[in-house]
Amino acid sequence: MTKNTKTLWQSPWGYSESFLLAFGLLLIGFALEFTVGSASFGSLVFPQNLILGSVYILLIAMVYVLIRKKAIFKFLSGIPASIGAIAALSFLVVIMGVTSQTPMENRELVSRLGLNRLTSSIPFLIINFYLLFVLGMVVIQKLFPLKLKNWGFICSHLGLWITVFAAGLGSGDLQRLRMDLNENQIEGRAYDDKGNYMDLPLAIKLNDFKIEEFHPKLAVIDNTTGSLYEASKPSLIMIEDGLKCKLHDWEIIVDEFFVTSGRAGDRYYFLVDLGAAPAAKVRVITPAKDTISGWISCGSFNRPHESLKIDERFSVLMTVPEPKKFSSEVSIYTPDGQKQEQTLEVNKPFTVNGWKIYQLSYDEKMGIYSTKSIVEVVKDPWQIFVYIGVFMMMIGSVYMFWRGNKVKNEETLTGVSN
Amino acid sequence: MIWNHFLLAAGVSASTWLLAAFIPKRELIRNGLVLLGIASIAIFIGFLWISLERPPMRTLGETRLWYAFFLPVIGFITYWRWRYNWMLYYSLALSLLFLFINYIHPENFSKTLMPALQSPWFVPHVVVYIFAYAFLAASSLVAMRGLYQEYKGQLQPKIMLMADNLVYLGFAFLTLGLLFGALWAKEAWGHYWTWDPKETWAFITWLGYLVYIHRRLHMPSKFKSSLWILALAFVLLLICWFGVNYLPSAQFSVHTYSQQA
Repeated sequence: MTKNTKTLWQSPWGYSESFLLAFGLLLIGFALEFTVGSASFGSLVFPQNLILGSVYILLIAMVYVLIRKKAIFKFLSGIPASIGAIAALSFLVVIMGVTSQTPMENRELVSRLGLNRLTSSIPFLIINFYLLFVLGMVVIQKLFPLKLKNWGFICSHLGLWITVFAAGLGSGDLQRLRMDLNENQIEGRAYDDKGNYMDLPLAIKLNDFKIEEFHPKLAVIDNTTGSLYEASKPSLIMIEDGLKCKLHDWEIIVDEFFVTSGRAGDRYYFLVDLGAAPAAKVRVITPAKDTISGWISCGSFNRPHESLKIDERFSVLMTVPEPKKFSSEVSIYTPDGQKQEQTLEVNKPFTVNGWKIYQLSYDEKMGIYSTKSIVEVVKDPWQIFVYIGVFMMMIGSVYMFWRGNKVKNEETLTGVSN
Repeated sequence: MIWNHFLLAAGVSASTWLLAAFIPKRELIRNGLVLLGIASIAIFIGFLWISLERPPMRTLGETRLWYAFFLPVIGFITYWRWRYNWMLYYSLALSLLFLFINYIHPENFSKTLMPALQSPWFVPHVVVYIFAYAFLAASSLVAMRGLYQEYKGQLQPKIMLMADNLVYLGFAFLTLGLLFGALWAKEAWGHYWTWDPKETWAFITWLGYLVYIHRRLHMPSKFKSSLWILALAFVLLLICWFGVNYLPSAQFSVHTYSQQA
């Protein structure tokens, strides 16, 4: 191979220029972040984002018209420029991947450079604009003249462009609010993450909150530290009626198990009552063949927890059951006077008047006795555009899978390794 | 107990594959043995699925199991298509390694599955990802072999074609996995992408393979740098796959495979 002797910035541009350009932009971004700071930048909301987006598209079109015959267009729509931009973005995302992204109060170097909130920092913004610009050039270059054989390429690249563009511009219009619903009460207000309440164009009445739980699990804890003992796996075993299992060095037999129960005298009885908790009678056989027997219970908001001491160091106990499924039976009222009966469940949101309602949480202290349901209401007017981009990328991926890499095979085979 | 069945399944795979390695000349019998070993893992996964009453994709041990299943499948397909014997044996050996890791680190098998994971997106998201990982792991084996050949000064251009094919297949799956995940997140939480540590590293991995593909298209006759990019991309994939579990920032990630599941 002959060594590349071209001086820097001499046409045609290659990898060196591409990397200098992309990382130069990063440097400018960090300098701006350090001096001006991004605090003054609010998220763009409608119609500013639409205007900015249109201007940006117009700008790309204009640049294309102006430079399409010049060498710089070949560079900007070429692979080295893409790789430079991807590398600069990767650099930022790797920082994001190793540092914790949490707000910091003090103005140290990390926070002044925006390293703890990279996604809202100026360098991130600049590199995304640059990436969209380069990707835009790449797409335009393949679009004109339009050839049928390029459909897979256009799907994946234009799809990516639309996704990043729409998701970025639309983020300011995304509204995520929470609503606390209490059984048999109508709620028409929701609050944001700062606790500001606002009226919604809909009201929700919680008719019933339902929750199913998994059975609690058996665990051994260290009495001195109170932490879970994990000498061997499994360290947690789900309780079933008549369970016989080996937990670390001990044999454990569940003689009786009640999903809801109450204590009376020296034992628990099956009981249906507010706060009735799971309980089990267990026998623990030690390695020395001693048997210890007793009741354990995870307790509830109004019943005590009870564990069984095996020896000075260890106790066996019952964990708090994990939720299996929770849902809210609600009536949704809209300003046009309509009433809809719905069941909201995790992973099954419901759309009404442009708002999506998600089942989020409940009063966890109360567990299965919770009469409160927390839902999230989300409005995302740009979602449709993001979906179009995503589906185009999916088609692009399927095309890629189906076709594999057939291009340049010959060049690879005839080429010489460097 | 599930555990005894695991030993049986892993034992069948290990013995059939070891036997297969000793009779490379009798192709029909050898291939039959390889497939028998793969079937044994498949049956165990099916059994586990039924007994857990949920898809066994939650813990690290469970994903290793899928990996141990898909790797030999892909190794076998690659062998079938391009007649690379070594690819078959590499993938069998790697699969056995994963089974062995599961043997020395038995994970907790339990039925609990948090409501957010109870979604029709769960299986396609994870299966597509594991498929992608298996293809890309296979491509990194090719990269290592290529780098070794290059070190010896006898790099065959054919090996690059194989790497390309595997990366293209793997990358297509990787992209689909990423997009399925984004659509699922939108359905479950109202947001496509939250820059959760796992998502961040998945994105970095995706960018790594993106660089490889573009570099190969641009400079198809430069092998060494491309091979290094491919090897590095696999390191990113490994960080994304399980390294991220050890990052302190991943503590509250929805993607952390809970050890106590």
